[in-house]
Amino acid sequence: MRGRRLAILGLLGPFTALFAATIALPIGFALYESVTAIERSGPLGRGTTSTVFVGLEHYATALSDPAFTASLWRVVLFALVQVPVMIVLATTLALMLDAASARGVKFFRSVYFLPYGIPGVIASLLWGFLYTPGLSPVLDVASWFGLNIDFLGASSILWSIANIVTWQFAGYNMLVIVAQLKSIDGDLFEAAEIDGASAWQIITRIKLPLIRPAIVLTTVFTIIGTIQLFGEPLILRPLTGSITSTYTPNLAAYNEAFANNNYNLAAAESVLLALVACVFSFAFLKLVNRSGK
Amino acid sequence: MRRRTFIALAAGALTSACAAAPGARPGQTVLRFWSWVPGIDQAVNLWNSQNRDTYVDLELTPAGSSGTYSKMYAAVRGGRGAPDVAQVEYQELPGFALENGLIELGPLGMDQHRDQFVDWQISQSSFGERIYAVPQASGPMALYYRNDIFGSLGLDVPRTWEDYRAAAEAVRADGRYIATFPPGNSAWFAALSWQAGARWFGLDGDVWTVGINSEQTLRVAEYWDELRSQDLISMQPDFSNSWYADLQSGRIVTWPSAQWGGPILSGNAPGTSGNWRAAQLPQWNPDNPASANWGGSATAVLKGSEHPREAAEFAIWLNSDPESIDLLIAGGYGWPSVKDALDGTALDTSEEFFGGQNVNRDVFAPADETIGTDWLWSPTTNATYLHLNDGFAGVVAGGSSFVDVVQQTHRQTVEDLRAKGLTVREAS
Repeated sequence: MRGRRLAILGLLGPFTALFAATIALPIGFALYESVTAIERSGPLGRGTTSTVFVGLEHYATALSDPAFTASLWRVVLFALVQVPVMIVLATTLALMLDAASARGVKFFRSVYFLPYGIPGVIASLLWGFLYTPGLSPVLDVASWFGLNIDFLGASSILWSIANIVTWQFAGYNMLVIVAQLKSIDGDLFEAAEIDGASAWQIITRIKLPLIRPAIVLTTVFTIIGTIQLFGEPLILRPLTGSITSTYTPNLAAYNEAFANNNYNLAAAESVLLALVACVFSFAFLKLVNRSGK
Repeated sequence: MRRRTFIALAAGALTSACAAAPGARPGQTVLRFWSWVPGIDQAVNLWNSQNRDTYVDLELTPAGSSGTYSKMYAAVRGGRGAPDVAQVEYQELPGFALENGLIELGPLGMDQHRDQFVDWQISQSSFGERIYAVPQASGPMALYYRNDIFGSLGLDVPRTWEDYRAAAEAVRADGRYIATFPPGNSAWFAALSWQAGARWFGLDGDVWTVGINSEQTLRVAEYWDELRSQDLISMQPDFSNSWYADLQSGRIVTWPSAQWGGPILSGNAPGTSGNWRAAQLPQWNPDNPASANWGGSATAVLKGSEHPREAAEFAIWLNSDPESIDLLIAGGYGWPSVKDALDGTALDTSEEFFGGQNVNRDVFAPADETIGTDWLWSPTTNATYLHLNDGFAGVVAGGSSFVDVVQQTHRQTVEDLRAKGLTVREAS
């Protein structure tokens, strides 16, 4: 009995310790920071400092800042467009690669997946060059046809970012769906064919229902990923005047912490962002479960 | 037992990794130094090669606002891990002072050495009568312009901002822009406001005064608003690839910039060598010429240092020893903060890139004499910069003006300072 208890402790210990140190503790600390503030006294504020409890004051500050709420709406709009585009594209690519008549499957699978192997920062830099007037071959070619495209303008920059994100992650999501497609029993297709099902019917009646879990999974990942949009706008920011320091909620929290040295407000903004991501992810799961029943 | 040994070993490895700097001799005091100034490693090597009791362990960091300041703030607040000596830009010094992060250097040698440095930079490094940093370099401003293009269009060098507007119209008619208004670089806008006589911040006893929306700043904002609405300026970010491409191709023909901008021009538009010249900034009031300062840095000793005396000695040496200054000039660190910066240094030379003009003696030395010296930064300068940048980005998107942005930033800055627990008054 004693040995068994020890074994349980031994097996769970490493996980619990890591979970506490890397998940629970940072979240707890962020929550603590978000409800405290530093108070100063003395000339120049260089007297004494003390940490005081301020309740939800930072949350109120964040939510009453029009720039921060605008950034929340911006990522929500971004997700509303980005998530369907991503999932439809990834599913289509996966189904095309899985089609019986497909050729060069391994080659194309690798090609689609390749962008995921490029670090996000480098991908953003590369795309940044393709978006910059005077350097971009894309813009040069467009100008031959009299087209004046402004990838970095205020109205287009969000979709230029969407392009980078799609380019980078569509192949990865495709691979998750391909893996599920591969696990479908081949007998099902054979039976369907004998019953006279067309290729389209096989997709809609067999493949799509059976890869549903993979699609749900990639959708949740994409929702969370888009709400947390950060690296792409951060890298593109020096190239354009259209990306503000509060362009996305993550960027706002980052600048609040590391440029304004206000960790407390940054913590509150981060917690708010996590809540939004939770709400959207669970709302989606709830929707899926209800329609699945 | 075994686990305990492992932990002991691991702890041992960690402490020994922190203790000694490679290169230090036994018995030497080791000073940790964080900086990102190009060429500063040469100066540090010189110090270390001169067989002293202290060894400087230089860590080249990313530029302050790219994360190094946040590391320093975190270390100062946490009480350990901060370097002994650190690079701090002038606009960031009040922020560190607010966090009680700086060691007063007057009693550690600066009181004896203060006369070696330019007065206004001593004031940038002081709070009240106390000196908290050793001035290193500044950025007196002037106008870089394309002499060949100005010549072919029959334009004279603009003496006033009204001349500059006329030149902008002529240049635009030729399919070029006179300059960019960098929407993401409000330090540049601050410098131009400084030139116009604005003073954004002041300290009246314990009370901070904010005067961002002063007449002078609004005048500058309005001027650039007019140029923008007539499409006479480009609105692309400075130091961006598209801007460099435009400098190289002649699509942009002037740059109101600091002395340290010269090497940036020659490095990024080498194909235009020989065609650039420098002249005094266009003036608001030519009878009373003024320049401004853009950029500028000091060397500070951070709280928590166990060797403040040695650290101060090094910081003073770094910024006043002629050999050290020569090495820093070669690295392109800017305009030295010591008095008579030009005499006998590598700065006093004519440059091929500027068609043989000795821009430092001809232009920047006199410009340096006309910088308004009572400019002050606030502990929340960074936030002010962000408000301006975000506002200017909004102007690019359309719908507002630089003047609106200045008004809005003024209000936000008052709030920022209050939020830090400071007493604030609006200057009027």
